[in-house]
Amino acid sequence: MNETSCSQCLEASASRRDFLSVGSLGLLGISLGQYLGLRSALGAARGSRATAQACILLWLEGGPPQTDTWDPKPNSSFKAISTNVPGIQISELFPKVAQRLDKVALIRSVETREGNHPQGTYESMTGHRPSAVTQFPSLGSIVAKEKGRRNQLPAYVMINKAYAVEPFSYDPAFSSGFLDARYSPLVLEDPHVYGNSKADRPHEVADWANLRMPDLSLPKSVTPEMIADGQSFLSIVDQQFRRREKLAEFSKMDTFRKQALSMILSGEVKRAFDLSQESERVKKAYGANRVGQSVLLARRLVEGGCRFVTAAPYKTGQWDTHGKNDTMMKNTLAPSADQAISVLLDDLSQRGLLDTTLVVVMGEFGRTPDMNPFGGRDHWPHCWSLVMAGGGIRGGRVIGTSDEKAAYVADRRVSIGDVFATIYKALGIDWSKTYETPSGRPVYIANALDDKLGSPIEELL
Amino acid sequence: MHGRFQAPRLSPLAGGILLGVMVHGTLLLSPVGTTQAGTPEEAGPKSLRLVPEDVALVGRGAAQQVVLLGEFADGMERDLTRQSQLLMSSSGVATVDASGRVHGVADGRCVITATYAGLSAISEIAVSCSDKERPFRFSRDICTILTKRGCNSTDCHGSVPGKGGFKLSSNALHPRDDFEWIVQGGTYEVLTEEVTEPRMPRVDLEQPQKSLLLLKATLQVDHDGGELLEVDSADYRTILRWIQNGTPYEDAGVTKDTEIDHIEVYPPMAVLDRQGHRQMLVSAFFSDGSRGDLTGEVAYETTTPNVVEVTQEGWMEGVGFGETVVVVRAAGHVATARVAVVAPSLDNYPDLKLSNLIDEHVFAKLKKLHIKPAGLCTDVDFLRRLCLDLTGTLPPPARVRQFLTNDDARKRETLTEALLASPEFIDYWTFRFSDLFRVDYNARQNVKSTQMYQEWVRDCVATNKPYDQIALERIAAQGNAAPTQNYYFMGNRTPQEIAAEQARVFLGVRLDCAQCHDHPYETWSQDQFWGLTAFFSTITSMPNETMGSALILDDIHRQAVHPRTKKKVQPTYLDGQALAANDEDPRGRLVAWITSEENPFFARAAVNRMWSYFFGRGIVDPVDDFRTTNPPTHPKLLDALAADFRDHEYDLKHLIRRIVSSRTYQLSGQVNATNGDDHLNYSRSLPRPLDAEILLDAISQVTGVDERFSAVGHPLAPRGVEAAAPPGTRAIDLVPQLYPSSFLEMYGRHGRATVKDRQNQPSLAQALHMYAGSTYMPKISTEDGRVDGLLTGGASDREIIEELYLRALSRLPTSEEATQLETMIQQHESRRQAVEMFTWALLTSREFAYNR
Repeated sequence: MNETSCSQCLEASASRRDFLSVGSLGLLGISLGQYLGLRSALGAARGSRATAQACILLWLEGGPPQTDTWDPKPNSSFKAISTNVPGIQISELFPKVAQRLDKVALIRSVETREGNHPQGTYESMTGHRPSAVTQFPSLGSIVAKEKGRRNQLPAYVMINKAYAVEPFSYDPAFSSGFLDARYSPLVLEDPHVYGNSKADRPHEVADWANLRMPDLSLPKSVTPEMIADGQSFLSIVDQQFRRREKLAEFSKMDTFRKQALSMILSGEVKRAFDLSQESERVKKAYGANRVGQSVLLARRLVEGGCRFVTAAPYKTGQWDTHGKNDTMMKNTLAPSADQAISVLLDDLSQRGLLDTTLVVVMGEFGRTPDMNPFGGRDHWPHCWSLVMAGGGIRGGRVIGTSDEKAAYVADRRVSIGDVFATIYKALGIDWSKTYETPSGRPVYIANALDDKLGSPIEELL
Repeated sequence: MHGRFQAPRLSPLAGGILLGVMVHGTLLLSPVGTTQAGTPEEAGPKSLRLVPEDVALVGRGAAQQVVLLGEFADGMERDLTRQSQLLMSSSGVATVDASGRVHGVADGRCVITATYAGLSAISEIAVSCSDKERPFRFSRDICTILTKRGCNSTDCHGSVPGKGGFKLSSNALHPRDDFEWIVQGGTYEVLTEEVTEPRMPRVDLEQPQKSLLLLKATLQVDHDGGELLEVDSADYRTILRWIQNGTPYEDAGVTKDTEIDHIEVYPPMAVLDRQGHRQMLVSAFFSDGSRGDLTGEVAYETTTPNVVEVTQEGWMEGVGFGETVVVVRAAGHVATARVAVVAPSLDNYPDLKLSNLIDEHVFAKLKKLHIKPAGLCTDVDFLRRLCLDLTGTLPPPARVRQFLTNDDARKRETLTEALLASPEFIDYWTFRFSDLFRVDYNARQNVKSTQMYQEWVRDCVATNKPYDQIALERIAAQGNAAPTQNYYFMGNRTPQEIAAEQARVFLGVRLDCAQCHDHPYETWSQDQFWGLTAFFSTITSMPNETMGSALILDDIHRQAVHPRTKKKVQPTYLDGQALAANDEDPRGRLVAWITSEENPFFARAAVNRMWSYFFGRGIVDPVDDFRTTNPPTHPKLLDALAADFRDHEYDLKHLIRRIVSSRTYQLSGQVNATNGDDHLNYSRSLPRPLDAEILLDAISQVTGVDERFSAVGHPLAPRGVEAAAPPGTRAIDLVPQLYPSSFLEMYGRHGRATVKDRQNQPSLAQALHMYAGSTYMPKISTEDGRVDGLLTGGASDREIIEELYLRALSRLPTSEEATQLETMIQQHESRRQAVEMFTWALLTSREFAYNR
């Protein structure tokens, strides 16, 4: 699809939506002048192409093989297939995404440094290599800070905690680092991490019902009235101490308690987190497995008001195909991802949320171009691929090229800083910003290799 | 104001005795002994002094700032320079302007007299070589401008990669590099010495005026940094002249003698009134011992501008009450001064009882700041505070009651000794040091090695092992059975990570930045970093699977390679002394250097860290970030504690005793008119949040329901670890990687993956958990739990309230609290529900979650 038709198409869909939403506002008594003002505001937003209001990240834990996904090469066991964009091919393992490639941008020349999971995750999610001195904030935390909260919902949610089995905790890669803790994600604990061997099989049907935020509903024996009693007791118990001490942390905790209580008591928030509100048809469409369900939940959360939702449905190292790469890709990894991504794009589009929702699909690195003796592929940070769609990103485009085996970048190296800058720009965030570390060192929020400032991929914006 | 008579504040007719003072032929009339004055300031100074007392002006254009200081009845020293009359005995030798800047005119000697309110003070001035130009030196003449104008600050061209293709060393730490970058161009390459990007000279010898260095700084061409230099200003002309002269590095005949050795700021600790002013003095000390004035040639920066503002001439103004640091940068040198803005003095400052050397230093500063400390804390507060700080455990009700009724005057000391000798002390400090020393587990190793390491920590605490011995055993672990080897094999640790971590833990310095480049703010160089790393690059190991350990030894042929020069690096101490070649025990030698009496870091870092465990912040804070630009709040206290620690053979229990027996530690949290805003000077006890483990243990303790920790389903649960921790296992006993706990992680448990400060930050997840989580209500309403027992055991409402108060807050409710709570419980339709929710309120209260 060429650029003109794409933006026309955008224009057309936006107008329809404008009409609808303004029409409904009209019922509330909106004036013509307000309508025109709104119209031009929308226009301005489109002009800057910063149309995204939120971001969904599907995290392919373990590192997907670029050759068997978005950058098909002869050294893959799988064929390249055509897509609905002439001239662009992807792996046959993703037939559904192929049919929606006009909405999808592929980046095939990402280069990073870290070749181990924890460090690679950290680099891909913060733009920095791990440091014993400074904990850098994650992409989601930065978006949460810059965009703020909408409705009652937390700005940054992570669906399923990545659990640590390595000598290195994965948490820092997704947390607020040196920023205030309120920018850390609200994490849905993985109900399967401990004591359930089914965690190994993400495509199992039985898994979905458990995907829920744990501390969002009062225990059965506790009623809202009891909580009200508790609050009254608290005002007496804590009175003397609070009169004397006015710590900033206390008022922060007060704010969190207020927010927590309203989340627990409000239908809106509970509904956003409640997958049972979705019809069986929709749930099945996304995929009756953890991948589909977490992506669906991510969509619900973004719709409700979250700014950044990381769907991390995989167990540690799920995409880490050191052995039997082809079988795993073909039987479990690719089908559920293909389905979830495709249905997400359709669903967002139908709900008029695609322009305002940026979708990113990536892992911590790529995989070796050559198979190892176990039929597996090992870690490969030198050249890998990722996907972006929605949020004003121009689909049907490929950024960068790799060499004949997808081993090294052949053209247009893209750093994580460039990826971040693109995401920020799509979200209307000043991507050239710096934050100051606790020791006073300014660091870019879009930090590229060797502490250089990344820059947005303008072809996509 | 120069040369104008400054009228004294009080009229001579105000009733004082008139005294005539003859100063250089002028009769001044002034009141003395005035008693009616309102404030000490209005009453006038008791005495004056002019600093510096001796001024030597050497060379053409030499200048010196002088400052007239008056000592007032309230103990304050105030800057009177600009209100005083300044008179030079011979204006042919030197002149002085109204702000106190003295300029040499011709060789000779003279005296400057400053007069204020009938008092006067003098300084002697000697002018020499007034017809001689100071020899040119790039490092001084040009770099000074780069620093003063902010060109080489770390957020501009002084940042690691530079800015806009132009790199300068931060604060001109490396003038040779700056010279090259300006004259030849190029930027800093992190990993190699070879320049990979095209070089663009910043000077144009053909057309000096068209030099980028000048065009950019004067905004004649686009410059992100804005206009930093005015065309034709003195600095502009200096740079232009240098380019016109062909950009020499220095004049022939320049000697080392006139290189700046260090700079000093006067005063190092200043106290200002709000809206009061004071001129800073900055002196350079040269290699030959002589002194020169730099007051007008440095950059001033205040870290808290809403406390003190400072102009680029070093003129400070007190803006709001508080304390700040003023950082002074001269090319290649940094110095700092602490400046406090204080409220008016108290009429009757209390005469405070000092318990030990800590109080001496803390209270002396408080007095200077006109802050009155809170009184001594109550017995219950002391008991709770001490139990938490020494054992991480709340005192049981019986202990609280017993302590309250005990009327022994020395009961606090007795309690301290009892706690120091308790098993809980060992548990708790094992936990603290396991955090610091990172007792951790990973899937690649045998869990026995983790357990050995933790046992080592426990043994250190149980036997009160001297801290230098602890350092020795941790750093220089050797052989097959060294328990601290675990630390060396955690993860894929590189020698540089190990070196940086040992420096943080035992020296209190963060060298990590210097791995890739010279430290941006300090004089730590990349070479020093790699010199230290080389002590650890020799570590070799041979795993011993059956033993669950490894053989650890040094192979001195494994030498570190400098990443830029690609040359092998000889182990070199931070003071520049290299280890003798072929020394077989590099790490042992390093420990000897670290723990030697002359080492300035070791004892200070240790006492500072220990201090932070008792006060929530270090005397230097963050505790492992000692550097010039992060000065201690109480330098003398730090020195005294360090010396005391050294004199007592690095005895940790002795140090703890010192701290907790001080009155400073035992102050109450009471706010008075003067200490409400103080967070730095220990004028009252400030609440500190309980760490995740302590909080969870406390909740279990109060509710009488143990937390069950389980490694069930842990994907790589090691053999030899109980799937479920035995009943009664406390959170502080756990190795984090072995037993997951969502509560602990939610509350910021230290994962021990890095040495880091705990983050006890409130979070939304914590708040949700209070209402809906498994730790609070389910424990409270557990059958046979504490609350159930009280409800069914026949206790009255009043007894239940008191018992739970004692358990959770270690105090009895006030009668007001008790009455209100009793009424609320009695009016509730369900007694059980009411008591449970009352308990929930206690456990989610801030008073419970903090050490007060």
